[in-house]
Amino acid sequence: MIVSAKNSLDDKIKGLDMGADDYITKPFHLAELNSRIKSLARRRQAEGTNELVFNEIKINIDSGEVSVNGKLIDLTRKEYEILLYFIVNKNKLITRESIAEHVWGDNISYVDNFDFIYSHIKNLRKKIDLNKGKNYLHNIYGIGYKFSER
Amino acid sequence: MKLLEKTNRTYFLVSGTAFVVAGAVIYFVLSFIFKDQLNENLLSDIDSITRTIERNGIVPNYYPFIEVKEVQAQSEKPLESLDTLIFDSTEKENILFRQISTVKTVNGKKFYIAARDTLLEKSDLLLTIIIITGSVFILLLISLYFINRKLSLKIWKPFYKTLDDLKEFSHDKPGFRLSSFSQLDEFTELNETLDKLTQKVITDYQSLKRFTEDASHEIQTPLAIIQSKLETLLQYPDLKKDQAELMNSAYVSTLRISKLTQALLLLTKIANDQFPEKSMINFSELIEEKVKIFEDYVNEKSLILKKEIRPECFLETNFFLAESLIMNLIGNAAKHCNTGGTINIVLDKNHLEISNSGTPLPVPSSKIFERFYKINKSSDSQGLGLSIVKEICSLNKWQVKYEYENGLHNFIVVF
Repeated sequence: MIVSAKNSLDDKIKGLDMGADDYITKPFHLAELNSRIKSLARRRQAEGTNELVFNEIKINIDSGEVSVNGKLIDLTRKEYEILLYFIVNKNKLITRESIAEHVWGDNISYVDNFDFIYSHIKNLRKKIDLNKGKNYLHNIYGIGYKFSER
Repeated sequence: MKLLEKTNRTYFLVSGTAFVVAGAVIYFVLSFIFKDQLNENLLSDIDSITRTIERNGIVPNYYPFIEVKEVQAQSEKPLESLDTLIFDSTEKENILFRQISTVKTVNGKKFYIAARDTLLEKSDLLLTIIIITGSVFILLLISLYFINRKLSLKIWKPFYKTLDDLKEFSHDKPGFRLSSFSQLDEFTELNETLDKLTQKVITDYQSLKRFTEDASHEIQTPLAIIQSKLETLLQYPDLKKDQAELMNSAYVSTLRISKLTQALLLLTKIANDQFPEKSMINFSELIEEKVKIFEDYVNEKSLILKKEIRPECFLETNFFLAESLIMNLIGNAAKHCNTGGTINIVLDKNHLEISNSGTPLPVPSSKIFERFYKINKSSDSQGLGLSIVKEICSLNKWQVKYEYENGLHNFIVVF
């Protein structure tokens, strides 16, 4: 995985062509780096099911299916990505900027306000709650969110 | 005014004045000489008439040129000269004559003797002089014009060559040299000075460019460290609210510096023309794709987004720049649109129009594309987005303009 300050498309293509599995530009969010490393690690583990589990929540990365207590729940693309990002970075405070850039892409920095994330978080919480899950998504001082038991 | 025109005008004025003065002098001198000569002739005529009468007793009479009359009553009169009008029966008009007359005693008889000759009329003389000097004047002017033209074109050729070369000059073209050399020292000196100057501009520019690039790359590494340390700090379990907020504030500012250096680097790269790869880009698809990124933001702010995007609008340009242009314009409209307002996006083959509703600008609209220009000084925006838009447009030779009409801030890019 290449970590570089050079952010042009050419540099990225060159790096990936040289055999790198991923290319991340400085500066980056730790959660983003963590998410990418884990994703690479999962890809390397060829055997076994490609599944992420957090208590009663189970994510099948290959099929994109999410279940709570064995029951499938219907998530939008963005809710799914947010959930995945949270579970990979469980027990860590993830800033709103980091979530926005991870889910909406680098281009989201063109806007000045990330309040729109909140409605997705709210929906996600509701969908997990409806299936008798617990509230794992905690707002931390308005800075970001933490996905944890408490 | 062109140099040639200016010199021609000066020539015309100076030689015109000189010819008028010369014409007047010629006129007065000539009329004096003529009169003097005429008087001498007439005097000798009177002498010869007197002699003819004395020797032969013949009284000659060639009216109106010679008139001799015998007179009794009068006493002798000395010579007197005057100008007189005499009717000419053949030409049926009054003609001006110079006359010298006298009353003399010849062979014991008294004679009135007058000798006359036609005097060149003043108007005739004037006309002749005007025609002669005028035609010489015109001839001179024409030849001066052609000589001047030929000389100017020849002498000034290196100058115009230099001028053309300089028009092609751009600080980001390292290979630029002034090619023309003249045999005239002034132009050689000019070229040498200009060549030195342009080389200096180019090297200065190159080092500035390298500095900007290096600086923005080098800034990213410590920024990455600050950012990750702050993120790590934020993970501490017992953080108080105010501590966390302080850290977050530092963290958000770090992100801003990072974006700012990236934007500055982008501006530098555009100015250096470091995006040479071009391809046919489907703007219609690209815009639809980018609009999606803003969907959640637009909904959150209760904005109404209207699109009139003609499908299959292709433009040949650099993909990254096209993306940046669109993102900056849509981002700008989204950011500055009033809550509950409207954003309009119109695309066809010839132009792209992105507008948003809002209150008019508090400053002249010409400032809007300036770097670091911000309407709200305290806002988080960098004030670079629209300068990037402008640079991308000028690189692609597109026109971009801003206008405020019917409560809409309207940005128009004409391809």
